[in-house]
Amino acid sequence: MKNNSYTGKNMCRHAFFMGMILVFLPVFATVSPPIFNLQQQITGIVTDAEGLPLPGVNILIKGRGEGTFSDMNGAWAIRTSKGDTLVFSYIGFKTIEEAVGEQTAINIALMENVTSLEGVELNAGYYTVKERERTGNIAKVSAEEIELQPVVNPLQALQGRMAGVSIVQSSSVPGSAATIQIRGQNSLRPEGNLPLYVVDGVPINSSAITSGGILALGGIDPLNTINLSNIESIEVLKDADATSIYGSRGANGVVLITTKKGKSGKTTLNINMYSGAGKMSNTLKMLNTGQYLEMRGEAYTNDGVMPTETNAPDLLLWDQHRYTDWQEELLGGSAFITDIQASVSGGNANTSFTLGGAYHKEGVIFPGDFGYQKITGNFNLNHTSSNEKFRVNFSTNYGVDKNKLFNRSLFVRDVIVLPPNAPALYNERGELNWEGSTWVNPLGYLRKTLDVKSNNIVTNMVLRYRLFPGLELKTNLGYTNLYGEQVTKNPKSSNDPDIQTTNTSQQLNTKRRSWIVEPQLVFSQKIGGGHLETVIGGTFQKSSSGRLLISGEGYPDESMIGNLSAAENQSVLLQEDIDYAYTAVFGRIGYNFRKKYFINLTGRRDGSSRFGPNKRFANFGAIGGAWIFSKEPFVVNHLSFLSFGKLRGSYGTTGSDQIADYGYYDAYEPTVAGGLYPTQLANPDYSWEVNRKLEGAVELGFARDRILFSASWYRNRSSNQLIGYALPAMTGFTSIQANLPATVQNTGWELELMTHNIQSSGFNWKTSLNITYPKNRLVEFPGIEQSSYANTYHVGASLRSAILYQSVGVNPETGLYEVLDANEDGRFDFNDRTVIKDLGRQYFGGINNSISYKNIGLEFFVEFVKQQGRNQLSMFGTPGRLMENRPLEVMERWQQEGDMAGIQRFSQSATGNTAYTRAASSDLAIGDASFIRLKTLSLSYQIPPAYITRAGLNACKVYIHAQNLFTMTNYPGLDPQYPGNIQGMPALRTITGGVRLTF
Amino acid sequence: MKTRYNFPGILVIVIGILCFSCEDFVELDPPNSQVVAEVVFESDELADAAVEGIFHRLYQLTGFASGGIYSVTMLGGLSADEFDLHNTIAYTDLPDFYQNEISIANRANLNVWSSGYNIIYMTNAVLEGLNSSSGVTAETKRQLEGEVRFLRAFTYFYLVNLFGDVPLITQTNYQDNALTIRVSKDKIYELIIEDLEKAKGLLDVEYPTMERTRPNSLAASSLLARVNLYLEKWEEAEKLATEVISAADLYNLSENLSDVFLVNSREAIWQIASAGSSYTFEGNTFILISANSFLNPVILSNLLLDTFEENDARFDQWVGRFDDETDSLYYAYKYKIRFLSGAEPPVEYSIGLRLAEQYLIRAEARGKQGNITGALHDLNTIRNRAGLEDISGITDQELMDAIMKERRIEFFAEWGHRWLDLKRTNRADTVISLAKPGWQSTNTLYPIPEQELERNPNLTQNEGY
Repeated sequence: MKNNSYTGKNMCRHAFFMGMILVFLPVFATVSPPIFNLQQQITGIVTDAEGLPLPGVNILIKGRGEGTFSDMNGAWAIRTSKGDTLVFSYIGFKTIEEAVGEQTAINIALMENVTSLEGVELNAGYYTVKERERTGNIAKVSAEEIELQPVVNPLQALQGRMAGVSIVQSSSVPGSAATIQIRGQNSLRPEGNLPLYVVDGVPINSSAITSGGILALGGIDPLNTINLSNIESIEVLKDADATSIYGSRGANGVVLITTKKGKSGKTTLNINMYSGAGKMSNTLKMLNTGQYLEMRGEAYTNDGVMPTETNAPDLLLWDQHRYTDWQEELLGGSAFITDIQASVSGGNANTSFTLGGAYHKEGVIFPGDFGYQKITGNFNLNHTSSNEKFRVNFSTNYGVDKNKLFNRSLFVRDVIVLPPNAPALYNERGELNWEGSTWVNPLGYLRKTLDVKSNNIVTNMVLRYRLFPGLELKTNLGYTNLYGEQVTKNPKSSNDPDIQTTNTSQQLNTKRRSWIVEPQLVFSQKIGGGHLETVIGGTFQKSSSGRLLISGEGYPDESMIGNLSAAENQSVLLQEDIDYAYTAVFGRIGYNFRKKYFINLTGRRDGSSRFGPNKRFANFGAIGGAWIFSKEPFVVNHLSFLSFGKLRGSYGTTGSDQIADYGYYDAYEPTVAGGLYPTQLANPDYSWEVNRKLEGAVELGFARDRILFSASWYRNRSSNQLIGYALPAMTGFTSIQANLPATVQNTGWELELMTHNIQSSGFNWKTSLNITYPKNRLVEFPGIEQSSYANTYHVGASLRSAILYQSVGVNPETGLYEVLDANEDGRFDFNDRTVIKDLGRQYFGGINNSISYKNIGLEFFVEFVKQQGRNQLSMFGTPGRLMENRPLEVMERWQQEGDMAGIQRFSQSATGNTAYTRAASSDLAIGDASFIRLKTLSLSYQIPPAYITRAGLNACKVYIHAQNLFTMTNYPGLDPQYPGNIQGMPALRTITGGVRLTF
Repeated sequence: MKTRYNFPGILVIVIGILCFSCEDFVELDPPNSQVVAEVVFESDELADAAVEGIFHRLYQLTGFASGGIYSVTMLGGLSADEFDLHNTIAYTDLPDFYQNEISIANRANLNVWSSGYNIIYMTNAVLEGLNSSSGVTAETKRQLEGEVRFLRAFTYFYLVNLFGDVPLITQTNYQDNALTIRVSKDKIYELIIEDLEKAKGLLDVEYPTMERTRPNSLAASSLLARVNLYLEKWEEAEKLATEVISAADLYNLSENLSDVFLVNSREAIWQIASAGSSYTFEGNTFILISANSFLNPVILSNLLLDTFEENDARFDQWVGRFDDETDSLYYAYKYKIRFLSGAEPPVEYSIGLRLAEQYLIRAEARGKQGNITGALHDLNTIRNRAGLEDISGITDQELMDAIMKERRIEFFAEWGHRWLDLKRTNRADTVISLAKPGWQSTNTLYPIPEQELERNPNLTQNEGY
């Protein structure tokens, strides 16, 4: 750093000198002063509002094209005449005009221009920072980009919108959690990559709430009960500079959600309503009845086996001509969506408030009475004492939701593979048809209901008191309480009556409670020609979470299911109460010198109850710096096309404590029927994962910021990997919590471009693009050969790699898939898996266009991802083997000796299955899964005031909004965002229309 | 806002909080759902609960000892010629066993292995806990050690018979265990014998509880008799079997065949409690619900059915029949209860060891030692109970064939007896190759699961996989 500032200073001086010459030369050369207009020398100093000198301010004599720049000390001098007007302009500050009178010195304080880009403030958690002055990497999405999206959970609305942030919605069942990954996978444990969620200063447990049935795949998102329309902004902290202050919880990035605050002024009422419907965005082309029966019959013929009524009722018992498009029948419904929001805000100079409420209802595509509903309420109060010493901000967000679904996780798959000649769903008597117990009626699953209810409160209060000018005492108090109830009902009538069962139920209650207290001292002072901001604080947090799983069986009547007192037998299958305590001391020192040179030091000492007594505390810290070189005179003079230029960089450490609580105890738990048994292997000595993050970035603005470009390069190295180390089952268990001497590296480039393509009074067109090129690599893993990961990961390859057999295609003689026996030992095992394919994203991003013409607005957002994924070979099993439908492509199978086919022969034998299974673990099962998706498209019209003022309206906007309108992809499955499975419900294509009223 | 704030006061509080000892703040007690291992072995009650827990896990793990889908009973029966496949839609791992072509990735195969080693871990943990405990009384220690040694031997017995050479794990340190190599069968048998002999000495003849779900010393003798039979130590096998048979105050052959599998049956030497449920997995899996339910993966094979002699009461009592429109399906019906609500008390328990086996062990051991009369006496005891005539006047070889046939009938659908008998008497090749066309000699051993090979580079695979 020392070196840098030295050369920087030299350069400045040089540039300043050059600048002076350039400025004065023309003055002497061109001015032939008229006698009556006496030139006079005027000098002055330009500062910012706090009195710090501003170098590089452009000072022009209005209408004469002459001018100068302020120097390092903000000083300037120019020759003018009385009556001239001087114009002071500087990026990020309001332009000021000053008439020249009798004075010989003009000292000017420029005010920052908060409306322009550089005025944008970012929430960095414990402090705020200006977008233009940040030393760290913070991405922000504001309310406008997300509030119209008809989705349940806020993260879903962010897909593709932030560089370096990948969000995958594995299932689009309403309420299902999204997986968010910031700058790639840092931990070898897939579940150890969650970022920290902080809502209004209150950390929220970011792990999905375990659920069952159709919600089992993703779990329930803990942010569901946050009202999407009440979010002011979502900031994602990425690099060390931004995340180190979160210490042990910052390794995977931090997601800060800020809700709307009250605004002083006239009381306004906002009402927004929309409704619409969604359909499944994609279906698969499966075999029709003729093709299906051909496949099944041929499988038996090929193997020389006669089908029997037991193993092939589809061939021998079922109607051979019946055809049902099951996807249309059972997944073809429309999911209706309704959303109503209202909020009131207002206040005076000292006190402001906002009060809001919202209702959201969303159906599902499955037949039956299912759906999601949520009601949220929020309140925010801001108060400043009249002497402005004391300030308080209180906010609370409360949400209740209810999700009615069913208890079958594989339902989507069930439907897709259901034989096309499967029997009718109902018999003549209108009851479920079980066709003599030859199939499982899928409607039976839908009768096993899953009701999920939850309520969640997140409340926060920030108290500030200014002790002395520049010194503030601040305390952040937070509380969150989530309570969820899930009831699964399995009535007798949902099963084949030939199967002897009783009415059963399972109830899962989840609670998550947490409080946090963070006393802080905030100090802000001009020091040595610069500005110093410091924060020192402490965190005390306690969380408790619990789960209670009770099953009941033998309810006398189906209507009583769920009432445990009516059950013949109740048993508690799980009762778990987990406490978590966390404490920290943290600090930040930020110093900027003349708004050009910025340095930011952050640090944290953390203690967590998740570790054994010897490993509880650890230190984390980071340094970040930035240089706004566009404020240097040499840039101003020579590179005037450059309206903004900044270099920044940071390095530091963060950690991760995302592991199960109490893992260090060697503990016994009770079995269901009494007695104790050990549930895990114990290791008291594991400790934090450490993630060292390095980042360098350049930010540029051209043509008066009409073009803004930024490029960041990062390298995160996550070591001391804390994992459920996979063990051979012969140790008694299949994993142990331990630190692994492995390093995972995520590097990448994040590019962002914002252009204001057309800017005129009536027509505006803005485009923003973000693109991320991530690269994940297992850098080192000493002793991998001797570890249980020897065959799961490859040093040098991505963690997302699949280690595969080399396929040699279908053998024209046998008609079976073959893979290469790489070591020629006559066996097929992991030693033959020599092909490594990276299934991670190669690049991804989004392009947003917003166009407005007078009162009409058009916005469309495209998400794109370049990746490879598992194809239908691994999504489906051996064609012909089971009573399951297969995709149309299987008809291109091998039929007779000599056939050169892409698909192996139909077979029901174990041999055929073994060959197929191997091929499904070969490179043949990997294909392109890239996609380009029109994620959102919205068209709005702002009704001219003339028509609405009579109704008491200030503004009225009508809009239509479409989600996932189309997807371009070669991927053969349902939804390429989560390739390789047909379990998850694909994204819905949703169209909604609405109106927003402001009174 | 006229209130006066006490700045120094606030400052003192804040700084006080910051300096507050953080160490205490993050110190938490273990959760109420757990008992820390050191505490477990500080009292008789908890130590006993830890042993009770292992016996419960035998049932709850739905593993090798459950009697259900992934148990030795099911897989051994499929590998041999006891079962035919019925409806395997829900259990796609089972056909591999029937066809004697087991994929190294087969989940049922992994389940047998992993459930076995999970039980072994628990027994080792208890042995270590007892060893270092000062809070458990000597009396309790003696009995608990006997029980877990019995169970460890029982588990290893199946692992070694199904997989051949297996890793010998006798302690809980996972770092060492994770890299353990397979050792020869002899070494495993050495441990089995040592454990059983110790258990026999440590345990009383009295059962520790009111039921027979925790072993007594005669349970150890019974298993030891079987082990000696497998190792062809005829004399010891006979001696041990005699010891059990002569405990007539505890054990008799049930006169009524339908009483054999009841809770606390007089024939039961050791039973596995249906912990948390009221039915056995055998009943739940084998009893046919309908002509073609996916809950019924197997039915009894014709080969087995054809082996029954005329008038064998076991056919009437232990074989169930389901009449379809076209033909009849037969299923194992030793356990009569397919499902019982957990509110009802259990009627049947899965039997791990029973007296009839001791008779047939002794018959075989006596026969091998040339005591044909003694052998026939034992054999006929079992035959008579099933309403069959005495066998007499036969050659040595005929005697052995008769014993094997009797074992096949008596123990069908129990613990894979048939599969292990064919293997130990080297008849698997000749017998099974007739029933299964793709049979290969290497199929007598199950493959070491792929996942284990991946995670422990020191493991080797069995021939043929």
